[in-house]
Amino acid sequence: MKIGVFIPELIRHLFRTPATVDYPFKKLEVPKSFRGSPYLQPELCIVCRACERDCPAEAIEINTVKEEEKIFSLVIYNDRCIHCAQCVDSCPTKAMQMDEKFEISNFNRHNLKMDWEFVRAAVKPKAENKS
Amino acid sequence: MNFQIPIGPQHPALKEPIGLRITVEGEIIRDADIRLGYNHRGIEKLAEQKTWIQNVYLTERICGICSHSHTTCYVQGVEKLMELETPKRGLYIRMLISELERIHSHLLWLGVAGHEAGFDSFFMYVWRDREIVMDILETISGNRVHYAINTIGGVRRDLDELQVKRILDSLEVLRRRSQYYLNLGTTEPSFVARLARVGYLSREDALSLCAVGPTLRASGVPMDVRKDDPYAAYDEVPFEVCTAGTCDVLGRTVVRIKELFQSYNIIEYLMKNLPTGPIAVRAPRRAKPNEVVSRYEAPRGENLHYIKSNGSDKPERLKVRAPTLGNYAATIKMLKNGFIADVPLIFAAIDPCICCAERAVALIDARTGQEKIMSLKSLKELSLKVSPTTTRKREIEWPL
Repeated sequence: MKIGVFIPELIRHLFRTPATVDYPFKKLEVPKSFRGSPYLQPELCIVCRACERDCPAEAIEINTVKEEEKIFSLVIYNDRCIHCAQCVDSCPTKAMQMDEKFEISNFNRHNLKMDWEFVRAAVKPKAENKS
Repeated sequence: MNFQIPIGPQHPALKEPIGLRITVEGEIIRDADIRLGYNHRGIEKLAEQKTWIQNVYLTERICGICSHSHTTCYVQGVEKLMELETPKRGLYIRMLISELERIHSHLLWLGVAGHEAGFDSFFMYVWRDREIVMDILETISGNRVHYAINTIGGVRRDLDELQVKRILDSLEVLRRRSQYYLNLGTTEPSFVARLARVGYLSREDALSLCAVGPTLRASGVPMDVRKDDPYAAYDEVPFEVCTAGTCDVLGRTVVRIKELFQSYNIIEYLMKNLPTGPIAVRAPRRAKPNEVVSRYEAPRGENLHYIKSNGSDKPERLKVRAPTLGNYAATIKMLKNGFIADVPLIFAAIDPCICCAERAVALIDARTGQEKIMSLKSLKELSLKVSPTTTRKREIEWPL
C-alpha cells in the first residue's frame, strides 16, 4: 500500500480528449437499430389492427372513416409512445416503421400526435410473418 | 440517552425515497427500521390488464438499471407456460445482454461506492469506462437503457460479424481498466480504510436473513442462481462464483470487481461459440391455465417472478420479488452497532433499487396507527366497487 497511487492516472487524464461531444453543434450518429418514433406507410396498411392490439402504451388508434369506401384513419399518439417498436414487429406488411429522429421534444403534447387517412391496401399478409 | 433520527423519505444521502428510522446512542446506531411504500406504482395490478406481449414492456419498466433481468425472468416463465422451445442463438444473445447489463450495473455501483466513500475522481473515471458497455448495448439493441431485446419465444435483434468483433475489441479495454480498478480498490490506503470493517455481516447472519447476490457472496457463501439452478444456457458456459471472506463493504466491492472478470470471460465464450439459426419462435397469444416460478440472477441478486395464467391472453397474477427486497433484513443487521456516518455507505453497498422492491403497501390508520394489510381478494372487490365499468379514456385532455 502506498499513498497517491491514483495520481499518475489523474495526470494522464489531463492530456486525454474529453469523453463528451459539444452536443448542439456536434451530434452523435444513431445506431442502425435505433428506435425513434413510429410512422405509417399508408399504401401498405391492410388494417389488420395488430399494432393497435399489441401496443403496450395504447398509443395507436385505428378508426373507420367511411366503411363502404374502405377509408380508415390511423392516429399515433407520440406523447404516449414508449418507443418499444412492438408495432413494427407486429405489422405483417411492414407498413409500420421507425424513424431515426431523437430530438422530438415539444411544449405541447398534442403537437406530437400524428395521423393518416388512407384507403385500405389490398396486399395480403405473407404466410410467415415476423413474430 | 437514545435519540431517533429519521433519514428519508427525501434525503440528500438517498437516491430514491425510502424511510430509515435510526435509533442512536451518541454516534453508534443501536436500532434501525426501514419503511417502504413511497414509490409504489401498482405494476403487478396493471400487469393483470395487459396481454402477455404487452407485459414484456411493462416488466422492463420495473427497473431502469436491471431492465433486462426483469424481462428475462418474466419471458422465461411465460415460455414455460406456453411450452415454447427458445432457439439456441436467441438464448445466447439473451445471455450476452444480461452479462453486458451485469457489467454496466457493477461499474455503476463501483462509481457510486467511490462517490459515497468520498473518492469522486474514481467515480468519474469508472463511469467514463462504463460508457463503453453502454455503447455496445446501444449498437445491439438500439437503446441505452430499455433494451427491449426480449420477446416471448426469443430475442428481437440479431448480431452480425461486425458487432461481434466490436464487442471482443471492447472487452480488451474493459479488462485492462477493471484490473486497474481492482489494484486501486485494494491498495489505495484511504479508500481501503474507508471501506474495511464497515457494515459487517457474518456468514451465519447472511444465510439466516436470506441475503442475496453480491451481499451474500461477500459473506463467503458461494450461492448463484446461474450455477445452482442454471437457466438459459448457463450450464454450458464455464465460469466461477466469486466470493470474499471479509464480510464488509470492501468484500462487496471485491466480489463485484471479480464478477466483472467472470462476465468478460462469459461474453468471450458466448461470442466465440455463437450458434447459427433462428433467434425467435412464434408465440401463441394464449397460455394454458397453469402457474410457474421463474428465477434469474440479476446484477443485485436473485430475481423471482411468479406467473399464473388462466387460459386467456392475460396473466391472472404476476408477482415480482426484486433482489433488493431480500437484502433489507440484512441491511438492518449491518447498520446495527455501526456509526451514523456509515449509513449511506452501508445502504449503497447492497446496491438498493427502491422502486424495484416496492411491491406491497401496508395501510396505516392515521388516527389509531393500526396497520392493515389487504388480501388480493378484498383488493379486487374494492377495485370493482370503485370502477365498475371503466372504459379507456383516449381523448383525455391535459391537465388530466
